[in-house]
Amino acid sequence: MIQKFLGAFIAALASALVLSGPVAATPAKEAPWLPEAAAYRLTLFLGNLEPLPWDDVVTAWAEPYRGSEFSVGALAWLDGSSDIGPAPLLDAITRKDRQAVFAEATRLIALRIEEELDRVLATEDPATAQQALRTARELYRAFEDGVAAADSEAARRIGLAWLELNSSTGFSGVLGAGSTSADRETMESARAVISGYLAENYLVDDFATRRALSALPETAVLSGRAIEVPPSLPPGSDIFDQDPLPLLVLNFEEQGIDETDLPLVAYGDMLFDSAQIFGSPARDLGITCSTCHNRSDINQRLFVPGASHQPGTIDVDGAFFNPIFNDRRDDPLDIPSLRGLRFTGPYGRDGRFASLRDFTRNVIVNEFGGDEPTPFMMDALVAYMLEFDFLPNSMLTTDGRLTDTAQAAARRGEKIFNRPFAGLGDRSCASCHVPDANFLDRQAHDIGSVAPGYEGARAGALDTPTLLGTAYTAPYFHEGSLPTLAAVVDWFDETKSLGLTEDDRADLTAYLETVGAADEPYEAFDTENTAFRLAFAELTTFASTIDTLLPRRDAEHILLLTDTVAADLSADASTMSNLPARPEVYALAERLAAVGAAVRVEDWEAAEASWTAFKSEADAIEERAF
Amino acid sequence: MPVHLTRRTILTLIGAGAVSLATPLAAQDDALRLAFIPQENPEKLLGDIEAITGWLASEIGVPVEGFVTIDHAAAVEALRNGDADISFMGALPFVLAEAEIGAVPLLSEVYRGAPSYTGRIFVRRDSGIRALADLRGHDIAFADPISESGYLYPLAEFVEAGLIEGPGQAEAFFGRVFFAGGYQQAMQAMAEGLVDAAGASQYADLLLTPRQQAEVTWIAESAPIPSHLVIARPGLDAALRDRFVDAMLRLNEPEHRNKLGYLYGPDGYVRADGAAYDGVRDLARQYGLLR
Repeated sequence: MIQKFLGAFIAALASALVLSGPVAATPAKEAPWLPEAAAYRLTLFLGNLEPLPWDDVVTAWAEPYRGSEFSVGALAWLDGSSDIGPAPLLDAITRKDRQAVFAEATRLIALRIEEELDRVLATEDPATAQQALRTARELYRAFEDGVAAADSEAARRIGLAWLELNSSTGFSGVLGAGSTSADRETMESARAVISGYLAENYLVDDFATRRALSALPETAVLSGRAIEVPPSLPPGSDIFDQDPLPLLVLNFEEQGIDETDLPLVAYGDMLFDSAQIFGSPARDLGITCSTCHNRSDINQRLFVPGASHQPGTIDVDGAFFNPIFNDRRDDPLDIPSLRGLRFTGPYGRDGRFASLRDFTRNVIVNEFGGDEPTPFMMDALVAYMLEFDFLPNSMLTTDGRLTDTAQAAARRGEKIFNRPFAGLGDRSCASCHVPDANFLDRQAHDIGSVAPGYEGARAGALDTPTLLGTAYTAPYFHEGSLPTLAAVVDWFDETKSLGLTEDDRADLTAYLETVGAADEPYEAFDTENTAFRLAFAELTTFASTIDTLLPRRDAEHILLLTDTVAADLSADASTMSNLPARPEVYALAERLAAVGAAVRVEDWEAAEASWTAFKSEADAIEERAF
Repeated sequence: MPVHLTRRTILTLIGAGAVSLATPLAAQDDALRLAFIPQENPEKLLGDIEAITGWLASEIGVPVEGFVTIDHAAAVEALRNGDADISFMGALPFVLAEAEIGAVPLLSEVYRGAPSYTGRIFVRRDSGIRALADLRGHDIAFADPISESGYLYPLAEFVEAGLIEGPGQAEAFFGRVFFAGGYQQAMQAMAEGLVDAAGASQYADLLLTPRQQAEVTWIAESAPIPSHLVIARPGLDAALRDRFVDAMLRLNEPEHRNKLGYLYGPDGYVRADGAAYDGVRDLARQYGLLR
């Protein structure tokens, strides 16, 4: 009861520092949304996609949003708790009239707030009034970012009105003790502030045409001012790290080499965790390479409505991330693992990029709308990613044969795996998944797993994926259509008429599970190795590249680093279990921000001083804080 | 997260036999009825209740039912009239319920190794406010008039510092005093600059975004406040009560710790020590809440 992690209301993620600009790649957990408020936010988000996914809009109102704590969707919820009918909204959705949907949905939310405020004023019971007030306040969240972006004064006025209303509504106390009576006059005047604003901005008969759907108040839209509402992800989105966290295997680290002695690699490591290299909205939302490719592997929980068809998938060339790169095809892909990256080229599901560098630039500039990276940034990113190694697996020799530790079923499966089948053109599974070549052949084959985009298309050839580490990367195939390795075996048996018996299938599955296994697939946290400690070590390692960049007076790359790391360090402090030590981490983050601030004005002496202070304080915290 | 509940009761539940408490049961010794306080989405709480009452029923060997009340007052009322045998409860409502209906403390929540926590006065770091005295004439948001860490204890710090003569005189010192409705609302109001300070639980800053957390600090901390508890109505069968307490204490064991998440997320429970709540009783008297 005391320490409730309801999560905080997410505003758009922003720097944890007082400095301008940088965004932490530590997403904030959102408080749950009320069903109709969630449906409204989803409608705004989906309504800005091209082509507009109308089925998803229907779902947004009909079903609970993904991860909702409510068992019913907005329509059922309204049916049970409101006298406001959704018919005009449903009619607009049926007609696929985007503007009308916006208008009706906006009015519906505003009417719901009014309905709850009426309940607040109508009841004599403080508990009932408080409850209706909480509901009204929660519904107002749906408009809050629009009001804040357009008119900070109005946002403040309304914020105070909610406080006044809450304070004047009265409290029940317990058995009469601690009860306070309602102050009707204050209630009325506070309510008038909120309702007046709603009437003027959200209960409008005829909304101006909205090019981009947002919660901006009507008066702000009519003013013609260019107002940017910070990007936000809709309810049901999930960009948090997967749990358990994949173990990161870096070649140099396994050999005992310290990353702080590899400045280019460390800088690449930082870029891999930096939202700054992308454009908006990814940058504003704190999305980074590692958001999807968690610890070089995959993030199985990643989900963005309208861009994901299931967890662990994303359509990176849709309307949301970079409209100019929108291919107008709804084709989310299962996030691929980057383990063993230097052995898995060419890149892209169909091997469209021979070069890792070209592929990575395409991700930054085209998929996520970032500025053209500098050659140094590209060198660093590639240097870092080339260190990604496969997970060690003691059941497999380096040339891909099973060791004595493998089980009998897997051994039988190994034989099937190497057996030629007529259905595979007299080839075996091992012909493409070559055991002594990391279980791949670096070629694209059309195995019939891709539905042709048009009559006669020859576009179904995909790169042979490695089988290493796959025990932890379900689901399978390019769009994640097969949930288990057993399902993959079944698919091949059925589509290629392999004629496997039930036992054969089980053995082949056991083999795949053995090849795909690992000695330690996940990061093992304990009281010593905490999530924060890992983050702290990472971030201070990233910072170590300043030792290289400062003497070179490389302002551009120092600023990219300080903007990324200072914000992340500060944000990650919120995950510390050692709460009293948090202020020290905030102070440390400010030291790093001060390095950046000094570099911005080319005060290199001050930058050096702040950097020196950062290093000694970081060492002290490392020793003391955990 | 609000949901419309009637004062007597509410949503249905669960455990070893669903019961709608809209029709109160007669007190009986072969079933245990638990009242929960809605601190978040009651729908989620219902799912949590289902999970925990099911487990408790299997441990205790009698049907266990749970229901969500509209607030602390309704939970105490349910204990008084026998609609509930057991309730989750804050420290202040407990001492009031103890005085009024003889409620019995059974278990105290444990956080970070102690069955206590503190209240703090939070401010924005860039506000220039460094001490309680700096808040003279400034606006403050508290959680609720019967919140220990979200009102009584933080306010007592101002009394202790000689800035306020006593409860009821707060308005003379501050600009405006708001009751925001909860920790999170009070903290948000402060973080967003609507008010200059917030009085809330020591952990309340964790309810802010990571960015906001870095922007706020605290300038005063109260004496330790005994934790929220689990309490029983006075006439509850002693043997049944003991079985319940034993089962709840098993939640401290590693294999059951995950179930604590269904119960407001403490780190564990200890047997309640009634004397530990003397400070709350004293404060409640000082504030005129307890005779």
